[in-house]
Amino acid sequence: MIQVTDIQKTYNDGKVQVQALRGIDLVIKEGEFTAIVGPSGSGKTTLLNIIGGLDSPNYGKVKIGNTDIAQLTENELIDFRLNHIGFVFQSYNLIPVLTAKENVEFLMLLQKKDDKERNERTTKLLVSVGLEDQINKKPNEMSGGQQQRVAVARALASKPDFVLADEPTANLDSTATANLLDIMLRLNQEENITFIFSTHDQRVIDRARRVITMEDGKILSDSMKQMTDK
Amino acid sequence: MLLKLAWRNIFRNKRRSIITTSSVIFAVLFAVFMRSLQQGAYGNMLKNIVGSYMGYIQIHSKGFWAEKTLDNSFNVSDIMHLTEQEGITHVSPRVEGFALASVGDISKPVALLGLDANLEKEYIHLDKKLVSGKYFSDDNQGLLIGKGLQEIMQLSLGDSLVFLGQGYQGSVASGSYPIIGVVDLKTPELNKRTVLMNLDLAQSFYGLPNLVTTAVVGINHENWQAAQATTIGAVDTTLLEVMNWQEMLPELKQLISVDKAGGTFVLIILYSIITFSLFGTVLMLTEERSFEYGVLIAVGMAKTKVIQVAVLETLILAAVGVIAGLVVAFPFVLYFYINPINLSGQMQEVVERFGFEALIPTSLNPSIALTHSGIIFCIVLIVNIYTVVKIKRLNPITSMRK
Repeated sequence: MIQVTDIQKTYNDGKVQVQALRGIDLVIKEGEFTAIVGPSGSGKTTLLNIIGGLDSPNYGKVKIGNTDIAQLTENELIDFRLNHIGFVFQSYNLIPVLTAKENVEFLMLLQKKDDKERNERTTKLLVSVGLEDQINKKPNEMSGGQQQRVAVARALASKPDFVLADEPTANLDSTATANLLDIMLRLNQEENITFIFSTHDQRVIDRARRVITMEDGKILSDSMKQMTDK
Repeated sequence: MLLKLAWRNIFRNKRRSIITTSSVIFAVLFAVFMRSLQQGAYGNMLKNIVGSYMGYIQIHSKGFWAEKTLDNSFNVSDIMHLTEQEGITHVSPRVEGFALASVGDISKPVALLGLDANLEKEYIHLDKKLVSGKYFSDDNQGLLIGKGLQEIMQLSLGDSLVFLGQGYQGSVASGSYPIIGVVDLKTPELNKRTVLMNLDLAQSFYGLPNLVTTAVVGINHENWQAAQATTIGAVDTTLLEVMNWQEMLPELKQLISVDKAGGTFVLIILYSIITFSLFGTVLMLTEERSFEYGVLIAVGMAKTKVIQVAVLETLILAAVGVIAGLVVAFPFVLYFYINPINLSGQMQEVVERFGFEALIPTSLNPSIALTHSGIIFCIVLIVNIYTVVKIKRLNPITSMRK
């Protein structure tokens, strides 16, 4: 479970102070498929970064499981991210010199998983995102949609507690978006993996089970929907 | 995986990698060739002056070096036990004095030296330095003269040289001896003023019963410092002085030091250029990859591992450059080792005026390659401080936003 309590974040942009988050309280339970939506500058990416331990709040607390991530040192935080959080970025951000298989394996290597476990999990994940025939391709040999599916596989490789996806469909066409959402929903439903998105994309919002709407650093609404297959 | 990442990253910008590696190759080639030429030249100087006659270590009666008179002589039996010491192969006793040499109406002051014909044959291969005539025979009456002296005094084999000089304890030394051979002592200065005779004959000429002025300590390797320490420990230093070649030839040591300093200055300039070239690469690499480093750190790669990948990449480039540089340099070094540069014209005159052979061979000493490879790796590590600091301070959000 992710517990966000009274998070506030202010950026100093030269002489101007920008209050990105103004007291966010939020609980995200295991197995949720949540979209954080809102216009640009509403604070959704900042919130995601703080939940992911990439940024720190000026005030408030983020607890993931029993860990208050503000109490972790920089190295502990990196290690925490490796073992507990999966990331999917808008621009995929795969390692360009590694193949799809190596990209997925990478985090498991950092976790010092043995060869057998790595190979089995990599194959399983690439099959589950429908890329079993692309394993030896490098990112520049794949389409955007395929790269984003590799990124999802990579995010899941380390067996994280949850996956944070920042505008994951922003660079994808409608078919690739639909494919990616199918895959993530299936993983969410079959393997109970928690996904948290920040998005503007109506296609993602339509498929999310919970939609948190933000504006001016505050939560405007937080609604749960009935689960749909598609 | 880190190695694989670093290796593959090298091929992401092939042109830059080629330029960086080429600059390292050039640096290694130039540095190794220049240093081996310098060390070869020093080695040749030492071989000419020290190795072929003087020796790296000499023993004299205390005060002889400051006042080279026959009265400062000692009994050779006092030091013969040195040959039992580790690292010392032999002890060659010599008598070194001066006399006026005359033939017909030509006279010239010469260094008239007595030495043990068999020992010098075995250890400094004096017989191999003969350019004409024959080596000392058992009758002990003949002279070997330097080839320069032969030209100056217009001497021929069989001519007799008449000597007049000061002997032991103020006595007058005189005698006439036939020339049986001409030697090339490799050093023009030695060739012009040296007359060699058998030790017994010299002792008889100078009236030095069983005494010698000098003993050359033969060593079985070039670690003369250790041999000097051994010698000092094994002789009575209240009566004898143990000197190394640097103490006996301070000008040579100074000449080498000055030349080395000049060479070092050139190398500093070269390495400065290489440092900036490598720094340029590291700077570009780090700036270009900061987004990627941000992603790696964000997904859970420890900063130390990111640093390892970045440093490995430049270390691999340097290693390839160093190995290729050594491979390219070796044939040049080997060629000039086998075929030394033969100085001619003014350069030859200048070098010979200093008493050296006008030949510059290269040195095959592997420490040159090791030293300069090590310097390149040190430079790589130093310029990578930038990468280390940059990654240590890297904020993944800021770098990914860029």
